[in-house]
This record gives sequence, structure tokens and C-alpha cells, in this order.
Amino acid sequence: MSEAPLLDVRNLSVNFHTQDGIVRAIDGVSYNVNRGETIALVGESGCGKTVSALSILRLIPDPPGKISGGEIFFDGVDLLALPKNQMLNVRGDKIAMIFQEPLTALDPVLTVGRQITEALEQHRGMYGHVAQEEAIRLLKLVGIPQPDQRIKEYPHQFSGGMRQRAMIALAISCEPQLIIADEPTTVVDVTIQAQLLELIRGITERLNTALILITHNLGIVARYAHRVYVMYAGHIVEHGASLDIYQHPYHPYTKGLLASVPRLDEPRKTRLQPIEGQPPDLIQLPKGCAFKPRCSECTDSCSQSAPPLIEIAPGHYAACP
Amino acid sequence: MMNREVIIEIKHLKKYFPVTSGLIRRKKIAELKAVDDVSFAIHRGETLGLVGESGCCKTTLGKCVLQLYRATAGEVWFSGKDLCKLSGKQLRPLRRNLQLIFQDPFDSLDPRFTASDIIGEPMQILNMHRTPKYRQRINELIQIVGLSPNMADRYPHEFSGGQRQRIGIARALALQPGFIVCDEPISALDVSIQAQIINLLDDLGKQFGIAFLFISHDLAVVRHISDRVAVMYLGKIVEIADRDSLYETPLHPYTQALLSAVPIPDPVVENKRKVIILKGEVPSPINPPSGCVFHTRCFRATEACSATIPQLIDVGNGHQVACLLVEAPPAKPN
Repeated sequence: MSEAPLLDVRNLSVNFHTQDGIVRAIDGVSYNVNRGETIALVGESGCGKTVSALSILRLIPDPPGKISGGEIFFDGVDLLALPKNQMLNVRGDKIAMIFQEPLTALDPVLTVGRQITEALEQHRGMYGHVAQEEAIRLLKLVGIPQPDQRIKEYPHQFSGGMRQRAMIALAISCEPQLIIADEPTTVVDVTIQAQLLELIRGITERLNTALILITHNLGIVARYAHRVYVMYAGHIVEHGASLDIYQHPYHPYTKGLLASVPRLDEPRKTRLQPIEGQPPDLIQLPKGCAFKPRCSECTDSCSQSAPPLIEIAPGHYAACP
Repeated sequence: MMNREVIIEIKHLKKYFPVTSGLIRRKKIAELKAVDDVSFAIHRGETLGLVGESGCCKTTLGKCVLQLYRATAGEVWFSGKDLCKLSGKQLRPLRRNLQLIFQDPFDSLDPRFTASDIIGEPMQILNMHRTPKYRQRINELIQIVGLSPNMADRYPHEFSGGQRQRIGIARALALQPGFIVCDEPISALDVSIQAQIINLLDDLGKQFGIAFLFISHDLAVVRHISDRVAVMYLGKIVEIADRDSLYETPLHPYTQALLSAVPIPDPVVENKRKVIILKGEVPSPINPPSGCVFHTRCFRATEACSATIPQLIDVGNGHQVACLLVEAPPAKPN
């Protein structure tokens, strides 16, 4: 695309200082999102998906976490260089976040309506009745029945799916340019998951919002993402258009992931093909390629140095020699 | 399917929890129908998958079968006895044949026990730990589940999630049970580890002829591991059939919606699929809808659905479905 990307993360590294040593949560991660585009960050727990998204909003707890290097350009502004008070204008207004667990992300002592009107006051200068009516409109938009009643209720009075809908209403309240959805449907069931994801897709298409979808569910990625970044042990090991990744996976980890999940549309296999071994300890990463101990295709050169991302087809990159 | 020996049979099982109100004098104001008239049988060495959304009381059903909850009504037949009628003392000798694998390997292992203590505890309870074979059996179990014997004296926190789940499996196997309830055994594990555990359970079932009740919400995994599958909604079984029959020709609208909601990891396939999006959420089991419990969310519901409770009917080959819109096949003329 000729236009500059909406979000451009370059060489981002985040460390956590713990008693056992320094955890390199992400190490030299670069990715970008264009306007109106949906990208997915895929990987197992602990691979750095959430950390790389939280650092966009500078929500990494410091200490113990520290952004040790890199740049994050949003709409041409380096977010890491912004003073704290200007960062407040970005959070929730230009970039919104949908968290995994709405019960812990929503404030239990404020009504759902108040949490939405708070954002409207802060960023859109709406007060009183105007804000109230806007909040009702938003709740209606995300499919909450009787929004004028539910607005007075507290998060614990909502069911899991409803809470996540309220989170979505809150996220879109200021019509952000970018929404980060961190495992938005992990805590809900498949039928509710389908409802919520269709809702998010509808909203992002209508408002031309960019979306970063963080998930470990390869099926959701296939259904919704335009481009995919596969992460392993704090590195991006492969990225490209979603079609390329699924049809021609290149990195052994991507191939392994795709082969290990049973699929409903294929004839049943007699045996699943797991990736052997365990994800590595982030304090003591193996030298060279982090995936080497579990890789079936590795060579001697893999243990020398971490392989860089190489363009193996137009727009399709993989970090494997 | 071959006519095999039935290992456990559940007949009209019901479990109602009282809902109480009042601070000093607890008054029963309603009933939560967690399991409502459920019947099925599991054959020796067979895996029955149980799927449904959270809150449909899959786990409660599993616990009722194992007598960890005593059922309100109904029968659970195991080795010639109705477990629901036995006292705790009478149940004890039977319990060794009924085991459970838990969902969360971080909560289900005692942090102060070493791996070998955890695996050996069932044998200790039966006073088998004084025999010389005790240690040997533990080592054997550790190897069966794919760990190495030098890990036996480590504590749970030294293991990863997948390895912990293997310890839980070894503990369940310790007394050579004939029947194991697996309650979401892989949902707490990483994607790349899940396949390892599924393969392990699959192998163990075949090797030792264990029957599993495999509770999960992951329909793709259930299809992989099960011989038969039961679909549960709000405490009732709405469809039960052979695996292939259920996945290829789902008859109940809920099963159809569930299957279509599962995203498939392939963008080409996904773009062509039509997803059935259900309206609304699962209603409260305290006040379930009248008639067919699914009619409030059903995309095919008619007026009759809110009035009549559908019964499970057999449409052939043991494929049972509880839906008014599915008609029983005409009786075959002799």
C-alpha cells in the first residue's frame, strides 16, 4: 500500500526484571497495521503477543517491565516519546482496547453506563443527558437488549457475553482509529464467540477501524484477519497475508501449529501431529533460533545466530534459513 | 458398531440444586435443574464425547456419574450395582474403577507433594504402598505417560502445564480403572501441547481398554477422540449419535449452530462458509424456557416448540435427537 501505515512498530523490545533474571518478553519485534485493516498476532501463551500490544498503549507495568528499545509510530507520532499527559489523549480516544476478561477489566463499583459516559466526558466533551443518551445508543448498537435499563446496572449483573459487549461499546465510544482486541472471546462459548466476532467485524468495517486481533485460535484468525504475524518466544517468526500463511506456511513452527489442530472440515485423522517438547524458558533462551530444540528441520547453522526475517515470496516473510 | 459390553449406564439421571433465600431461615425458593433426565450408556473401551456451552452443566453430570455429587433421582449402573443407592462405605471399593482427570493441572496437584507422591496416593489409600512393587509401579506409570523416571521426585511447580497434565493422567491410571471422566483435560494447555495430550489419551484408551467420558467444548477435538458424541444444552441431552453420524448429519438445530460456529483454520474454506449466528444467550437454568429449552435461540423454532417438551427419539442407527421438527422414521414394514 502506498499510504503510510496507521501503526508502525519498529524493533520493539520489552524486558521484565524478575528475581530469576531478565525475561526477554519480546525482542526486536516489528509490525504494522494499515487503516481499516485487521491483523492477527498468533502464538502460544507467553510468546509475547499481549506484551507487544500493551506496549503500544504504554501499559506495561514499570517496574518490573521496561520497554528497552524500539519505536512505535502511530499516525506519524512516536508514542514512546510522548509525554504522559498526551498519552492520555491517545488511550481510549484514538486507540482502544478490548481485554480478555471483561469482569476484571470493567470497574466493579461503577455502573456500566458510568464507565461509558466517563470516556465520553474525557474525550468527546459530552456531559449529562447528552452523554447518557450516547451511551444508550452505543449499548443498543452492540446488541444489548433494553439498553436504557441495563445502563444503570453493574458489571456483575451482566452475563459473560453481555459484559464483553459492554466492553466493545466502551471501546468504540470515541470512534478510535485502532482497536486492540486481546483474546476477546477466550472466556466465552463458541456460539457467543461467533456473535461477538461478527459484531466486531461489522463495527470495524463500518467505521473503517483498524484491528489488532490477539489470539491463539487459528480458526478465528483464518476467518477474520487480512494479515497474520506468527510469534514464538518473543520473536515474529513468520508474517504475511493470511492466505499465504495458511496455504504455504514456511516456518516449521507455523507448519507444526497448523498440523496439530484437528479440523472439522477434513476427514478425521487417526492421529494428531503434535509439536514435540515444550516452549522455551524466556530467561534462558537457546542460542540461535529459539524453536530449534523442537524443530524437525533444523540444521547446524540454526544454533549459530537467530535467523532474520527473509522475504520468501512477495509480502511473505519467515525467519528460517 | 459392535455390540459390546456396557461398562456404565446412566438412566434418567437428575440433579437439582436448591436455590435458597433469606439470611437466617434459608428458604428454598427455586430449583436449578443442572442435570435433567439424562440417559446414556458407555461401552468398554469406548469414548463418549460430551459437548455443550459452559453453564450447561457438563461437569455436574460428570460428577454425578462418579458419585461426587449424589443425584436427585435416577440410576447409575456400574458393575452390576446402582451406584446412586450405595452408601459412601459401599462405594469405596468401587471407586478405584472410576477416575477423574481435571481441567486445570495447576489446581489439581498438591504443591507440597512430589510427582511420585501424587501418582502413588491412590495406591497409598488402598494400602498398596508397603508392597515392593509400589515404587516400580510408579516408575512404570511415569513412563507410560511419557515422563522420565528421574522427574519422580520433583514438585509440581517444576513441571510445565503439559507435563503436569501427564502427572494427573498417571494418577488416574494408577489403580487400572475401567472408566475415566476427563473434564476439559486440554483446555488449559497451549495449542501445540494439546495434541500431545490427546494422542496420549487416545493411546491409553486403546492400550488399557479404558472407557472415557470426554467433556469438552472444543468440537474439533471431541470429533477426533470420541466414538460417540452427546450434545448437551441446559441440563438436557439434545442429540446423541455416533461420531460420524453427528458431525456429518447433525439433526438438532443447536448442534448445527455449534458446528457452524467453530472457525476452521483455513481462510479459503472460511470465506465460503455460512455461519449460523444464534440469537441471545443461554437462558438461566433456574427458570428454563417452557417446552423445548432451546426454542428462545432457535432459528427454526415454531409455536409448538414453546409448548411441548421434545423427547429423544431414535432416527436410526442409534442417532437420537430431541427436536419436534425432526420426525421419527416411519416404522419399517416387516
